[in-house]
Amino acid sequence: MSSTVLKYEATAAQPFLDEITSRSGQNLQACYQCRRCAAGCPVGEETGVTPDRLIRLILVGDRETALNNLLVWKCVACYTCGTRCPNNIQTARITETLKQMSKAAHLEPLTPRIADFHASFMSAVRHLGRFNELEGLTIYETKTAGKELSKGEIKGVAGEMITQMRLALKMIKKKRLHLGLDKVRGTAEVKALFKKAEGR
Amino acid sequence: MEIAYYPGCSLHASSELYDIQCKMVFRNLDVELKEIEDWNCCGATAASKMNDFLAVALPARNLGIAAATGLSEIVIPCSSCYSRTLVSQKRLSCDPDLKNTINAELIRKVEGDIKVSSILEVLKPKVISGKIAEKAKKKLDGLKPACYYGCLLTRFPCDVEVPDDVENPQGMETVCRALGAAPVDWSYKTDCCGASASVNDADQSQLLMSRIMKDAVARGANCFVATCPLCQFNLDAYQQKVGEKYGIEKQLPVYFITELIGLSMGFDPIEMQVDRHFTDAMGLLKELKLI
Repeated sequence: MSSTVLKYEATAAQPFLDEITSRSGQNLQACYQCRRCAAGCPVGEETGVTPDRLIRLILVGDRETALNNLLVWKCVACYTCGTRCPNNIQTARITETLKQMSKAAHLEPLTPRIADFHASFMSAVRHLGRFNELEGLTIYETKTAGKELSKGEIKGVAGEMITQMRLALKMIKKKRLHLGLDKVRGTAEVKALFKKAEGR
Repeated sequence: MEIAYYPGCSLHASSELYDIQCKMVFRNLDVELKEIEDWNCCGATAASKMNDFLAVALPARNLGIAAATGLSEIVIPCSSCYSRTLVSQKRLSCDPDLKNTINAELIRKVEGDIKVSSILEVLKPKVISGKIAEKAKKKLDGLKPACYYGCLLTRFPCDVEVPDDVENPQGMETVCRALGAAPVDWSYKTDCCGASASVNDADQSQLLMSRIMKDAVARGANCFVATCPLCQFNLDAYQQKVGEKYGIEKQLPVYFITELIGLSMGFDPIEMQVDRHFTDAMGLLKELKLI
């Protein structure tokens, strides 16, 4: 990826840059590639694309790579990049924006488990207004297992089940597993917020 | 002194011990925690990844409930809940249209600006006023904690006032010293443990945790102290696995700050559920004759 020559056409690049600038609220053009963000990024070594490169991809209008790279998915939202940026660009807001755009464009996530986790978390919150670990993780594990089994990844699914069962047993032993379901009385209010979010 | 309290989902589930300890410790410091009624999930990291509107709207409902209490401050012990709520409050104050849109859906509207505090912001004045020293019956001699802040106590995705040094915070050390413990100086106190990546991107999270654990051991710490339930859970529950994978021989108990304060106050460790840690947390206390 580092050897790729980037093509730049100003008029073609502008609308994509404008969209991200407006949605994320970040001034991407202030980036002068000092790479302090890259130095501090905890997942940068694994993702290849570091925050500075992501900004570059957007500036040159490479929509496809900007929406399809590991940083967008593996970003742990630690906010180190934005805190250290001399120009106050919060790249984590940009990865969040790109993730939402990628979802809206129905692109296949590069790391389905991460995407499924966040979606499952929100399903659980929408349902009862609170995140119940057992409910959220059941939704998540069922979702990922279903997808992975359909691709024939039996070994991976079995491994994941064993890992999670072990953790659950440890939690039971230490009385850390909460079996009841916490529910908000105002679920209608919470659901109304979710409904409003859909139209935005 | 009465203060509004938002426990968040973790403190009602796997980190219930933290909820119990917060109530015990604050009561003894003459701070009455008033849990806000019918609170909902703050949306955590998932909401900000999935939907910008919900990331603001979910904490906004809690801010509305908190405003209705008439109290001037709300303490949120979970770093994630604290950060999301503070950021939501900031966004609402900068965007009146968004605030009106969200308020239209809420029974209890967001109004005024209740002070949103982390647990350290409430504890620090109690150190300065001498209240913690006054209530501490026991000095935590021999305890050398690596104070672990993680990400969300000092780094925010928007411009809010950070209540401590961003790169080298000292709030937890200040509390630990007041208890007679000797916190170590180390380099990974604000590094990320991976948070929910421990579930959905396990290798990545375990790599991050290994760096944190290695440095704490190398600096001579004999335990971790944390304020975030997710940081605590990760380092506690995955420490054995990460230690085996990365060849880290020593395992360190991961205490909540409230456990250390409670111990010095003379509370029963079993009542505080110190025996419910994944990485043994009782042994070190016995060894140091603290219990």
